[in-house]
Amino acid sequence: MDVTAKVKEIIVDELGVDENEVTMDANFIEDLGADSLDTVELIMKFEEEFDIDIEDEEAEKLTTVGKAIEFLKEKLN
Amino acid sequence: MSKIPELRIGDLVARLPIIQGGMGVGISLSGLASAVANAGGIGVISSVGLGMLNNRSQQTYKEDNKLALRREIRKARKLTDGIIGLNIMVATSDFSDMVRIALEEKIDILFLGAGLPLKLPAGITAVDIMKANTKIVPIISSERAANLIFKTWDKHFSYIPDAVVVEGPLAGGHLGFKPEQINNPEYSLENIIPTVCSALEKYEEKYKKKIPVIAAGGVYTGADINKFLNLGASGVQMGTRFVATKECDADIKFKKQYINCKKEDIVIIQSPVGMPGRAIINDFLKDVKAGIKKPFSCPWKCLKTCDFKTSLYCIANALLKAKIGELANGFSFAGANAWRVDKIISVKELLDSLVQEFKAAVSSQKPALVNYSL
Repeated sequence: MDVTAKVKEIIVDELGVDENEVTMDANFIEDLGADSLDTVELIMKFEEEFDIDIEDEEAEKLTTVGKAIEFLKEKLN
Repeated sequence: MSKIPELRIGDLVARLPIIQGGMGVGISLSGLASAVANAGGIGVISSVGLGMLNNRSQQTYKEDNKLALRREIRKARKLTDGIIGLNIMVATSDFSDMVRIALEEKIDILFLGAGLPLKLPAGITAVDIMKANTKIVPIISSERAANLIFKTWDKHFSYIPDAVVVEGPLAGGHLGFKPEQINNPEYSLENIIPTVCSALEKYEEKYKKKIPVIAAGGVYTGADINKFLNLGASGVQMGTRFVATKECDADIKFKKQYINCKKEDIVIIQSPVGMPGRAIINDFLKDVKAGIKKPFSCPWKCLKTCDFKTSLYCIANALLKAKIGELANGFSFAGANAWRVDKIISVKELLDSLVQEFKAAVSSQKPALVNYSL
């Protein structure tokens, strides 16, 4: 599975942003305009789509697109 | 004459559909909560900062919080056989301890606000909640938050909360809205209530139980109660009105601010905990706005989200000072209608007047209904 493409697709869907904006450095809150509920919804979507559990402590660290992709790749291995 | 409906949350039945909102620091304790419960409503103790009220030293704060919580619940139980709830802020760093003690003390209802209660604290299960027969009531400000909470609880615990309080943008204290949403009619409580009611329908069907929706934030008169019941709410939560009662646990100077303030004195501030809040403007807040630092030390970081390193003041300390009447060193949170308060009455007088107003509002809308049925 292409994790990077899937994660980007989920972010575009959930946050309603343009694909071009979803760069590795993009911060969910500062750059992609996510609010606190968006970030929770996003994590839940990752859990559903990849069939994994993400702990609160882990979720708090996933502040950028790149960090989320890196984390999910590791988790899925 | 029509009767005001009772409020049922699971097997709990309150004679009046009125919940007194938890108000911290130290504004609603056992005194106010038991008076409301005795008069037929639901009284709510606020758990935030309880340990500060009788703090021995900065090092013992967390232990003091636990002791004080147990003491406060027991005190309320001695004063009433009515329904007593406890409001706990999800964002407090000792959230788990507070929930655990409340369940040990078999509190009737836990109101969980200031953060999304998506998970149960570590070590606590749905079975613990059922054993204590405690009702769980999240406080939310949108249909989205309702969906998130119920979806998560359904999925992880096969158990769902027993009711929800929907707090709109006219509430006092911390608000679950962005500053630009507060005055946007799209986010009015009148608009949010029906959306939350319909979002919960599928869970009501799945779990075969009624999930009462409680309207909060700016509810001031019996006519307001009637309005929100007509929109689908099963009850209301009120805070501001209960501050101006004899039984409210705050200092008289705190209460007098509500009586003396004007409409323009009620302002939105940006709180150090990262949320907007509604408060009564005073010299302390003016100083903060002008960038004047109010020195404090923070040995325990009571709120997970508090930006205490850059904050100009400690909000817990400021609210505590206001509670004990030292307004030069703090300020008061208040609802958008606090300027309408003009006297301090007893809880019973307040509830009696709300019931009368409710009945009057119902009878005045009757002719229209009769006409339709003809």
